[in-house]
Amino acid sequence: MSLELVVQQALNGISFGALLFILAAGLSLIFGMMDVVNLAHGAFYMLGAYVALQVVQITGQFWIAIVVAPVVLAAVGFVIEPLLLRRLRGRHLDQVLLTIGVGFVIVDLIGLYWGREVRTLPFPPGFDRSIDIGGSAYPTYRLFVIAFAVLLAGTLYWIHRRTAMGALIRAGVDDAQMLSALGVDTDRLFAITFAVGAGLAGLAGVVAAPAFGIQPGMDVDALIFSLIVVVVGGLGTLNGAAAGAALVGPAETFGKVLFPQFALALIFAIMAVILLGRPSGLFGRIRIGR
Amino acid sequence: MAPLASIGFYLALLTFPDWSGAIEGSRYMTTILRDMTVFAIYALSLDLLVGRAGMPSLGHAAFYGSGAYAAAIASQRLATSELTVTLAAAIAVSAALALVIGLLCVRATGIFFLMLTLAFAQMVFAVAFQWTDVTGGSNGFAGIARPTFGGLETSAPEALYRLVVIVFGLVSLLIWWISRSHYGRALVGVRENERRMRALGYHTRRLKLSAFVLAGALAGVAGALSAWSFRFVSPNDAGIGRSVEAFVMVLIGGAGTLLGPIVGAGVVLYIDRVLSSAIPFSQAVLGVVFVAFVLAARQGIVGSLRAALVRVRR
Amino acid sequence: MEPSERPERRPKITRRGFLVAGSAAALVAACAPAAAPSPSPTTAAATKAAATAAATTAVSTPGPTLKLGMLLPFTKVYAELGASQKRAAELYLKQAGGKLANRSVQFIFEDEANDPQVGLQKTQKFIEQDQADLMMGIIATPIAYAIRNAVDSAKFIYIGTNAGGNAMTRDTTDCKPTCKSKYVFRTSFSAWQVSQPLGEWLSRTPATKEFFLCFSNYAFGTESAAAFVEGLAKNGGKETGRVAPPLFNSDFVPFVTQIKAQSTKNVYSFFSGTDAIGYIRAWNQLGMPAAGYKMFGAGFLTEQDVLKEVKDQANGAITSLFWSVELDNPENKAFRDLYQKEYNLLPDVFAVQMWDGMKALDEALKKTGGNTKDKDALIAALEGVSFKSPRGDFSFDKATHNVIHDIYIREVKTAGGQTVNTIVDKFGKVTDPGK
Repeated sequence: MSLELVVQQALNGISFGALLFILAAGLSLIFGMMDVVNLAHGAFYMLGAYVALQVVQITGQFWIAIVVAPVVLAAVGFVIEPLLLRRLRGRHLDQVLLTIGVGFVIVDLIGLYWGREVRTLPFPPGFDRSIDIGGSAYPTYRLFVIAFAVLLAGTLYWIHRRTAMGALIRAGVDDAQMLSALGVDTDRLFAITFAVGAGLAGLAGVVAAPAFGIQPGMDVDALIFSLIVVVVGGLGTLNGAAAGAALVGPAETFGKVLFPQFALALIFAIMAVILLGRPSGLFGRIRIGR
Repeated sequence: MAPLASIGFYLALLTFPDWSGAIEGSRYMTTILRDMTVFAIYALSLDLLVGRAGMPSLGHAAFYGSGAYAAAIASQRLATSELTVTLAAAIAVSAALALVIGLLCVRATGIFFLMLTLAFAQMVFAVAFQWTDVTGGSNGFAGIARPTFGGLETSAPEALYRLVVIVFGLVSLLIWWISRSHYGRALVGVRENERRMRALGYHTRRLKLSAFVLAGALAGVAGALSAWSFRFVSPNDAGIGRSVEAFVMVLIGGAGTLLGPIVGAGVVLYIDRVLSSAIPFSQAVLGVVFVAFVLAARQGIVGSLRAALVRVRR
Repeated sequence: MEPSERPERRPKITRRGFLVAGSAAALVAACAPAAAPSPSPTTAAATKAAATAAATTAVSTPGPTLKLGMLLPFTKVYAELGASQKRAAELYLKQAGGKLANRSVQFIFEDEANDPQVGLQKTQKFIEQDQADLMMGIIATPIAYAIRNAVDSAKFIYIGTNAGGNAMTRDTTDCKPTCKSKYVFRTSFSAWQVSQPLGEWLSRTPATKEFFLCFSNYAFGTESAAAFVEGLAKNGGKETGRVAPPLFNSDFVPFVTQIKAQSTKNVYSFFSGTDAIGYIRAWNQLGMPAAGYKMFGAGFLTEQDVLKEVKDQANGAITSLFWSVELDNPENKAFRDLYQKEYNLLPDVFAVQMWDGMKALDEALKKTGGNTKDKDALIAALEGVSFKSPRGDFSFDKATHNVIHDIYIREVKTAGGQTVNTIVDKFGKVTDPGK
């Protein structure tokens, strides 16, 4: 591999990682705060992409879709949490089955409503071409994804560190029970958390759609990748999601071009190695043992 | 237990091909019952981990798939259809694989255990998909000979059905015996409070590893039976879909019970493979069933029926 | 659910007894459809007819209902291909007046869910429960391989309408991964038939003798690439290197980046459906056309489902296939108009494959007088079938039961807002080399 090629593939890996961060942040938040592994996360992501498709078909505007889809998904999350998840607090296997079930329903309804053909979302105007980087063309949309993810990360950090909501979230990740004892309305907090997590999945769906397409099966891929990122990085922390995404994106990209025969399992092998060395992920503070 | 009813039910199942002749479509019923029974063994094996020892494995298809491939490849390479050889190969390969994966995984718990088992299963899937010379790769492995036992043939559907049901009976007995044994109770102890078990002097990691290997071996048996039933193995049989199926069967039926995984296997296979013909959105129905069971039937179908019966009796 | 309801009525029943009875009921219920004809909403009317026809010699229909098991994907990645073939089958029957050889027809649609195990279960259902006359369909090759032995030993005729693995209609050592069967026909293609002629055609021109290969890493992709290289070799062409992304790859930019880093400008590209769309979009994002790279491939790379999404981004791609929606012959025009009128959609190649399957069956049944019981007679009739199809002349290779058809070399062009595959050249009567 020439240096130029290494740089290009590194950019490809970083932009893929950037997308993974957007995708995994929501899953990580829900896990850290609510102690729920939301296996419907991939379905939320998929729904986000289809909502975006619908919005673009109606308005012709990607920039409207990138706002509307997360809001729709947040609303879905806001309904699902109190309706279905609330009564399952602490019952992990039931949460697994329930979120798998919710995912099945969403994905099947998407198929019924939007059909099961492969779809694409056009690149937003101005982001459908390449610019020159180090003597070779690089797609602008992927640079946009990187910039967007960095901006999102910054915003999330700011919320996390500087706002009252962030303080509640930090406290909740540390000890949700204590928070409840202190008189915080955890029911409401959890509903909001779940809504934000679902909204972030929807956002990832919109951002991914122009680059990766919209098709049946995208939910499973997204779910597995986001689980890997969250587990590798360490559960429930923003740092963890960022570190996981920064590692998994480039590893996946280089891995599959350098060792295509192992492409199917490479990322799993990396995850296994990391977990064997650090059983609670790179930034994991707590070992979730039950 | 109500041994008589169980034995009666089992005998009815075993002799189904003999007495069902008058029912229209009984031949296909026999086929579906056979497949349900294979899946029941598979679900029972996973329940050892999920239900008894509290180890939520999302990679159980690794052992189902490796058992299926091992039986198929042994039969081809050794040019034999002798049950003792091919079944031994299936058990040996899946148990050995479970030992290796188990050694690496049993330290982890909860979601980490779940993801580690998924990761290793995905590696097994990749090997099945890529190692074309041995496994047939993405094309799958066709033309698997049905086993012979001594002079007995199982190429006829009824004979194979009986073999499957007999193995199912033996596995059920084993699980039932484990559930009542000191060993089985120790596993439940590990699930409930691993630290206390350790304090009591149990080598908990070794206990968990033994359960993992046993569950892997039994899944390998189920895999071998499926290889003979379908006379075909594909990478799908080691894939994540197959792992999720087992997981869901255990949870729907009721984890930690003998009957639960069996009923779960029947229900899931029915909705996913039989009902799917009749309606265009069977996945959504399956999803709704999951949600309904989680909300209405806390301990799965069997657990809830039990609880209801206790209430009725009072 | 209300678990307390039933036990209240029978409070004396033992706890275990009830549980056992309950699970027995579940198991029997699981098989319940066996007792009744399978209700599929799409065939509700036909089912009703069949229900009576099964018991009586119906008043209005001269022969017993012909039951056709249709094994197609209606979920997972290939769902749209299944939907397309279902539309084609129903349209054919409709234009034939609901009957083949004067027998009314009942379709039994089953979802194979892209899982060989499920495909086999459904095939057993056709054979054992539905007692279908024959079966058609199957998109993915592994499923066709999985059911081959089952249909062969049951002497049950299967007309394949997509799965294109070479071995399906060939003699192979030890029947690995599978081998031809007298009961198996194929109206679609073999991997060889689609890619070998393109290689042969391209290597006639000095400018297109050397190719870089990029193909989906699974059996059908590998077979296609091998057939292409075999064709190239006919006129001294060769491969200069290869890269094989996994099937259902989500991000193609890294692979196209690899292609751009090497100097062979001609790239054989085997992808279909979602992978083809992702590949072509990545190709354009990285400015491959401007850098002088050209795409070539099996026709699936630029079929309707792909062009609909990528439009002019595929312009200039040269592919080979046995059909194109633009093909200028009366049968294709009639087919296209009929399909468009019925569904307000352009037909795709998958629809043609099913359409021809139905047509072949129709022709054969005419010869046997609607008789499907005499398998040898029906097989002989199918072997002798030959007709003008939307793709041109259609017939079966008697030795292998694979289709013999013309292969067209096509180029993607956009004119008047429509992006289509225009015919450039033609290979007449391409027969798979299988024996």
